[in-house]
Amino acid sequence: MIVLAIESSCDETSASVIKSTRGKIEILSNIISSQISIHQKYGGVVPEVAARHHVQNINWVINDALTEAKIDSKKIDVIATTAGPGLITSLIVGIEAAKTLAFAWNKPLLPVNHMYGHIAANFLQPISFPAVCLVVSGGHTEIVVLKNHTQMKKIGQTVDDAIGEAFDKVAKLLNLGYPGGPIVSKLAENGDAKKFSLPRPMLASKDFNFSFSGLKTSVLYNAQKIKKQDDQFKADMCASFQQAAVEVVVKKTIRAAEKYKAKTIMMAGGVAANKKLRLDLESATKKFGANFTVPPFVLCTDNAAMIGIAGTYLANKKMPSKNNWHKTKVDPNWELL
Amino acid sequence: MTTKFIAKTEKQTFAYAQKLAAKLKGGEVLCLTGDLGAGKTVFTKGIASGLGITKIITSPTFVLMKVYGIKNENIKHLIHIDAYRLSHGDDLEAIGALDYFGKPNCLTIIEWPERVSEILPKEKIDVKIKILKDNNREISVKR
Repeated sequence: MIVLAIESSCDETSASVIKSTRGKIEILSNIISSQISIHQKYGGVVPEVAARHHVQNINWVINDALTEAKIDSKKIDVIATTAGPGLITSLIVGIEAAKTLAFAWNKPLLPVNHMYGHIAANFLQPISFPAVCLVVSGGHTEIVVLKNHTQMKKIGQTVDDAIGEAFDKVAKLLNLGYPGGPIVSKLAENGDAKKFSLPRPMLASKDFNFSFSGLKTSVLYNAQKIKKQDDQFKADMCASFQQAAVEVVVKKTIRAAEKYKAKTIMMAGGVAANKKLRLDLESATKKFGANFTVPPFVLCTDNAAMIGIAGTYLANKKMPSKNNWHKTKVDPNWELL
Repeated sequence: MTTKFIAKTEKQTFAYAQKLAAKLKGGEVLCLTGDLGAGKTVFTKGIASGLGITKIITSPTFVLMKVYGIKNENIKHLIHIDAYRLSHGDDLEAIGALDYFGKPNCLTIIEWPERVSEILPKEKIDVKIKILKDNNREISVKR
């Protein structure tokens, strides 16, 4: 089966061709056009600006994906596209392109949930089920239990800010720039994680929910007490904050794995690129006694290959009918479950 | 008309917002201001709870706007907007936020409204949460 996948939910325009033969999945191409440098000066993605760039890029990105994969339209079995969650103005560009192609080429169209795509980036490796997946990004922090490749249940989530958002806001509070995640974790390498005693929100709660709003506020209060905010202070604060945030998500993920007797612990989403989080969750998983998987870096941040992998599993389960393109709608608040 | 309330705990902020929600008829635009950590999220959660929303209200900073459906009420949708990252109202217009302002079956809450002041409607309710020296919160509601 050949899947053409399109992703444009935030500030990355991406297209990919995925080939699957008897359960073996291969990425033939994965073209990503990033707008990060454009949005940097705004301290976050600006919807109107993002939409304009998606419109400029979408055609050549799709074209390059097909050319690199050496696939022409006749060979495509299904077109998979991100239909949410995300920014409505960004999503609509990818989905309208996908609908147009589905109509012109008479192909079935498969809407894919962006968060399921992040999880599916793990499926290039064999997975033993049940599996628990920690999904961490700028907009989400969730724990999902998977019965198999396509059946899953969200068992916990943040009750306020997402973990990536907390990194961004802490970076903003300390005047470090955007995007906050990589900057904070880089500075944290030279900091003392025990310097500031920050809370571990909801660590004691019996559910699998998270809270990062209070942690961010605690960083603010602690920073206000310090008059001389030099580099060492910044490094120490970043390290203390990262330690608190990582500790909570790792402990709760392991607790979820215990409860659901997970054979695999997976991680997904842009924040899965965080080095400390990778190392800490991996060693905690080993101690617990399960397999650990995390996608390669390029498949952690937004990309179309993960949408294509998710689309492959969905289409294998149930191939959508041709000419269904007019039924497909964008849902910017599409919840995984 | 401005009413003021001193909240000593998070729970009191939540309960105050919950009660305020019961007085809303629909079509209102609530402009919610307060520093990071003042309790804007808690206030919004209180409003949502007062409207009968059981879903978890999470921060809309990343997607800018979240829409929650409400059953069995005059108010059918809660629109939660966060303008923290924005510098101009055009960005909210682009995502269709203006469609909800003043709609009788919608209640709109905007956090950081000062960043998008040019597109705010004339008819609005200003809610200000101030952190007092003793860490209590002063919530003022101006209609």
